[in-house]
Amino acid sequence: MDGGKVTLGRTAGLYIGAAVLRLAIFTLLPGLPDLLTGRVEISTPVTSFKRLQEGLFLYNHNVSPYDGGVYHQAPLFLPLFSLLPSFATYPIFTYLLYIAVDLLNARALWRIANSGEAGSSALFTSPRREKRWSGFVIAAVFLFNPFTVATCIGRSTSVFTTCAILHAIAKAVSGAPLGAMVALSFASYLSMYPLLLLPPLLLLCYDRQRPERAVKSSLAFASIHVSIVAGVLALLFQMSYLITGSWEFLPSTYGVQLTLSDLTPNVGLWWYFFIEMFDSFRSFFLAVFWLHLSCYVGGLSVRIRRQPLVVLTLLLGIIAIFKPYPSISDTSLFLAMVPLYRHVFPLMRYSFVIAAVIMYATFLGPAFYHLWIYAGSGNANFFYAITLVWGLGQSLLVCDLMFAVLRDEWEVERPEMVGKEIRQI
Amino acid sequence: MRQLFSLIFLSLLSLSVSSVHPSSSSSDYHEQLVLRPLPLSALLASFNFRSNTTFSEFEARNFRLFPRSLAQILQHAGTRELHLRFSLGRWDAESWGARPWDGAREGGTGVELWAWLEADTDEEADHKWLILTNALSGLFCASLNFIDATRTTRPVMSFQPEGDHPNSTVTNMHLLYGVLPHEVVCTENLTPFLKLLPCKGKAGIATLLDGHKLFDASWQSMAIDIRPICPSGGECVLQIEQTIDMVLDIERSKRPRDNPIPRPPPGHELPCDTSKPYHSHDTCFPADYKANQDWSLSQVFGKTIKGTCPLMDPTNPPVCLQIPDSRTVYISDGVVEKKNPDRNSRCFDIPPTADFEMVVTPPSDDDAAQTSPGAVGVLQPETPLLYAERSFTGHGQERGGVQTILRNPSPDREVEFVYMETLPWFMRIYLHTMEARIAGHNAAHNASLIQQVSYRPALDRARGTQLEVRMRVPAASTVFLTYDFEKSILRYTEYPPDANRGFDVAAAVITILNSNADKDAAGGRSAVYTLRTTSLLCSLPTPDFSMPYNVIIFTSTAIALAFGGMFNIIVRRFVAADEGPEVGLGALTGRLKGRLNGLLERLRRRTGNK
Repeated sequence: MDGGKVTLGRTAGLYIGAAVLRLAIFTLLPGLPDLLTGRVEISTPVTSFKRLQEGLFLYNHNVSPYDGGVYHQAPLFLPLFSLLPSFATYPIFTYLLYIAVDLLNARALWRIANSGEAGSSALFTSPRREKRWSGFVIAAVFLFNPFTVATCIGRSTSVFTTCAILHAIAKAVSGAPLGAMVALSFASYLSMYPLLLLPPLLLLCYDRQRPERAVKSSLAFASIHVSIVAGVLALLFQMSYLITGSWEFLPSTYGVQLTLSDLTPNVGLWWYFFIEMFDSFRSFFLAVFWLHLSCYVGGLSVRIRRQPLVVLTLLLGIIAIFKPYPSISDTSLFLAMVPLYRHVFPLMRYSFVIAAVIMYATFLGPAFYHLWIYAGSGNANFFYAITLVWGLGQSLLVCDLMFAVLRDEWEVERPEMVGKEIRQI
Repeated sequence: MRQLFSLIFLSLLSLSVSSVHPSSSSSDYHEQLVLRPLPLSALLASFNFRSNTTFSEFEARNFRLFPRSLAQILQHAGTRELHLRFSLGRWDAESWGARPWDGAREGGTGVELWAWLEADTDEEADHKWLILTNALSGLFCASLNFIDATRTTRPVMSFQPEGDHPNSTVTNMHLLYGVLPHEVVCTENLTPFLKLLPCKGKAGIATLLDGHKLFDASWQSMAIDIRPICPSGGECVLQIEQTIDMVLDIERSKRPRDNPIPRPPPGHELPCDTSKPYHSHDTCFPADYKANQDWSLSQVFGKTIKGTCPLMDPTNPPVCLQIPDSRTVYISDGVVEKKNPDRNSRCFDIPPTADFEMVVTPPSDDDAAQTSPGAVGVLQPETPLLYAERSFTGHGQERGGVQTILRNPSPDREVEFVYMETLPWFMRIYLHTMEARIAGHNAAHNASLIQQVSYRPALDRARGTQLEVRMRVPAASTVFLTYDFEKSILRYTEYPPDANRGFDVAAAVITILNSNADKDAAGGRSAVYTLRTTSLLCSLPTPDFSMPYNVIIFTSTAIALAFGGMFNIIVRRFVAADEGPEVGLGALTGRLKGRLNGLLERLRRRTGNK
């Protein structure tokens, strides 16, 4: 901790730089926020800022926003954004809110990185842990990732979910399980899918408990914290009920994610599959897709029990590929967590292929969408093909990271194997 | 046998009853055709048929002039008031002026139906509405049964009952409104329409109605209105009014049916604009408005009127012509021409059995000098209270906007009206983007344009958007009403076979409110004029219809690759490349070589033994 002043100056510089970049885009390119809000890669039916505004308008005019097909977001957004000065007259306050949320996310990432959990957890210490990036670099990679910036400029409400997830992890690694559970409940309330992160997060909390307040029995620990999550969720639902005056919001927010009734294109694999699905098999495949999404939780939690943060990272990646309404915001969260594993990067086998595939999909996706929707010279298959490539590229990254982490674990048992050819049987 | 006798007796009785009061039956049916030449060689023909039945007879199922088929449907579905419209084409308000009947007897393109049903609950009203639409669908050979929940709305401000309803029933009357903009109105709808008339189209003015001419018109609207009327001091009657309005293009109608290809007229028949300075014997500026001013009934409709309907009220002349008195009209023998004192219309009394033919001559040169060009020899069209045009803005199949241009031509009178849109659910409108602005003014003027909004948002696959806006347009100004919407992508089975044609969006209904009258008891204000915009065609993004199997296979493959890759890494053990059992091509060839060697060895041993 030598040169504390310099670090403080660099920290402030990073945050100010990121904030100024976003503010400059908001003010100097006034058309860009609305353009990005309309992009299907950034705004999904459950996170779109334009839909939020419509919900807010209806809410302020005493029409239930859930009695319609446009607004599918959590009810607590409505009073939050009603408190802000009107977006139409003072957009700057909304911009500042989104910038602040991004900086909070970076702050949480910084704390996760500085805890060193990625390199040495309670049950496992990597021999390569010395080779890592500081919190500064990881926060910078997150803040200046084009996907993060685009999400912020597009004002997708998924940044609030991202914020809750990152704070849940940050609380967990700093030995505050209660805060982690509350944050995870908020994330689940906003987007539902973070509930899948509960098992690995519980393991992480259990491993990182403060010794003075530790609960030894794992069963007791799990039951206490699961009931905390249930309690906070019940409280949030009750508050939503009081705000909207009915339980209509449940089918309209979570029901839409479960049944995929809104088929707006996005970067995921669900929309085109369920457009083309035969009606009689729709419910079956909805169940299969959700089952598929949740089947990774158990497998990864058991296999990589010694490094729960790895499980969380890999699950975030898997969710970003296979959830019903993914956007680049989910990818940006995954990509924010990946640099924590700088020490296993040398063990990854397909870094070049992954980078190339993700870049390819990033540039070709908007072009093919344009060909389909605006130019009319392509059809839906063009964009669909790119979403397939995007999904395959990300799943390759997830697989490769998983391989690298497991090999790192294995090399502790077989130190003579470092740098040798290996295979799996 | 006894039943049969009583039946015969009853029918005899009813015959005698009807013969006792012949006067009442004749005065209960009224029919009239009003012909009005419009500028630019168009002709508006308004057919109106009206008959009454008293409630006591209606309840006793004693139908004389009232069509029995329709009456039974009304009784079964608890309908108190019904309005049904079949329309086609566009009324060109810029050249033709105000609409006939102040717009009260027309609908938007396609089929429109609204009715007041008597029901205790909304669910009961929905059930009766289902019965009504399905029964009318069968009666009129129209796809009215496709008016399901997604196409049904319950307007709040736009429609008021036309009839006199007792206060006891008003409280549980439900207004339901359904519209089918895609429905193509055609001759199969006209035939059942004519069947409802007492003379079934065999006599009287209805003989002119012919599918070939009616559906060839530039604009046509068939309407059926059923409402209770309670004259003060008299018995309440149920009135059915059938109306057909059509605007015929005279030039098009006069083309011979066996040779319908349009050809330019020979030079000597070409009407020329003599006021042009370069006009001479060999140059001609064609004056379109002068052409086709002369026509006859048989030229325009293809036939003449076959007498009159004997059930008709003889005091009303069956045919009227709205044309200046200066124009000469030749009529058949025996027909009496009565010129009205306003000097702009005349009516004709037709003998019951004679054919009626009418020939309108071209206007004299004096006429041409008196009136403005474009409306030579015809009445000057009345200026409507409001002009409205609606169109889509934006491009692409992702999102768009709707823009309605509302122009008030009056120099000193403000117009207040209700603008109603019924939109399909797959057009997701953003109400927060709705704004009204006056052309050429700054924002300060726009604040008070929208006075009241009634909005029921669409629910995916369950109901459409219902938007009613009460707004005003100041005198001599143009107001732009705009809002944004997003086009949603549907499941591939939800697209029609011609998916890339687009989806029809129903006409917006504009009801101009009476500015003088205070609110009546029901809380609504009476309409003075109604107009409808044209319908729109909205193109949605389409998936590839040919490859559901391919998509299912590709997506499943991608998921299987990810799943397989990850679980492969999770469940298998790591070993060094040279440890563990050997796999791969080398191992296979090694094993094969071993087998082969063993086989050869055994063979050799056997031969050695021999």
